Amino acid sequence: MRLERVGRRYGPRGPWVLRGADLDLPGSSLVRVVGTNGTGKSTLLRLVAGIDAPSEGRITGRPPRTAYVPERFPAALPFTATDYLVHLGRVQGLGRATARARAGEWLERFGAGEHARTELAELSKGTSQKVAVAQALLADPGPGLLVLDEAWTGLDAAARGELDRAVRERVAAGATAVFVDHDPRRLAGEADAVYGVESGAVRAVAATPRDVPPEPRVRISASGGKPLPEGLPGAPTTEPPDPDDPTRPLVLTVDAAHSDALLGALLAASWHIHHLGTEEGVRV
Amino acid sequence: MTALLRYQSGLLLRSQRWLAPLLLYAAVLAVGVRAGEPVLGALGFSAAALVPVTAWCVRICVTQEPPAARDVVAAAAGRGRAHLAALVTGAALPGFLGAVAVLGLTAIGDRRGVGAPAATGAGLLATAACVLTGASVGALAARPFLKATGWSVTALVTGALLALVTTGSPAKHALTALVTGSRTTTAQLPWLACAGAVVLAAATAALACRATARLE
Repeated sequence: MRLERVGRRYGPRGPWVLRGADLDLPGSSLVRVVGTNGTGKSTLLRLVAGIDAPSEGRITGRPPRTAYVPERFPAALPFTATDYLVHLGRVQGLGRATARARAGEWLERFGAGEHARTELAELSKGTSQKVAVAQALLADPGPGLLVLDEAWTGLDAAARGELDRAVRERVAAGATAVFVDHDPRRLAGEADAVYGVESGAVRAVAATPRDVPPEPRVRISASGGKPLPEGLPGAPTTEPPDPDDPTRPLVLTVDAAHSDALLGALLAASWHIHHLGTEEGVRV
Repeated sequence: MTALLRYQSGLLLRSQRWLAPLLLYAAVLAVGVRAGEPVLGALGFSAAALVPVTAWCVRICVTQEPPAARDVVAAAAGRGRAHLAALVTGAALPGFLGAVAVLGLTAIGDRRGVGAPAATGAGLLATAACVLTGASVGALAARPFLKATGWSVTALVTGALLALVTTGSPAKHALTALVTGSRTTTAQLPWLACAGAVVLAAATAALACRATARLE
């Protein structure tokens, strides 16, 4: 799929929200769109998803079956979660029974299985977002173009991980996935292309294997009379203490996400914490 | 398209937004039609009431989805097709009500000089002409053309009234045929008005569906 000199404005005399966007969106690719608020990221995603038509330029080679996940999915629809998904599944070309079965599977995968019969209006914000994500993945075969506008917002950690996995599965199956997310660690280093949107202009940003800095790792210096407990959280790497230097005890290095759990485990095992810092040596 | 129509009618029926236009139509018929009055006059009255009722119902259908839900459907099915499904759903309910009213009014009306099949035929054609004209008014008075509620409702009411009285409007043409027929007790079938309404509705729907992805 290609966007050639695509521009968009609201009304024939409105200001240009986006102009001169050239994007190449091949199959089997994950494309990230970055930019600050109000620069036209959502407008670009709406054009890619085919929700809005470009005011100038053209979009060619659109893959079959497009799915779009908005950032905030409204609850103001008079359906239960399953009924809504069955309707959307049928719009995407599934039969009633298949749509119902796949709706159940995806709700289960995102941990919203117990809300299948709940009215959308009664769902929490996070669970409605799970329904919005599930509708995008219902089609069988899955969508050829998946457009995610901050789709992770409001999801719990398990569902965010599941959505990451689902996106990877779709890309591996040949689909194009285009996403915006405010968390720079989202699918970090996996994007095949990164486009920056700045005051209505789109430019390609070099997609290095690691296009954002990795999560900082935390160093914990500790000593204890007992042996180190088995199965520590986050599988930390350990450097043994220096026998000649009593001020240099055992050092454990772990992802920041697991540091609290690791500290808890060490303290529970009656270990003594000497020093806490990041890998770069900054004290935290 | 069937799935889209099912989704749109599910939205309309389960949200109970259909109730208000239905009550308006029922109230107008209850006030304006008496058993035993000349059948063609009663059918004309019923068809005329369908112009504002259909315009309202179409506006309900194109505005009933929250924007994010509309975007999700637009991406899956195409913006134009999604809009068309809303327009068709909005016109189908008044069309169904109108057809039921034609049968009922023909049964209870005074059919002197007019055969029941001729009266039913004339009534159904006039109903179709009025529903399609009303749907065109509703499509033009709502998104994507008029988004602010105040302007939209003003345009809808004005448009529905103009559609009933302006020469050249298919609805006015069909109603004139019924009223004249009632006076002369001869049922004329308003084919031409009906065909005009079909063309008008098709052109309006094509314009609205094309405009929705561009203007919004």
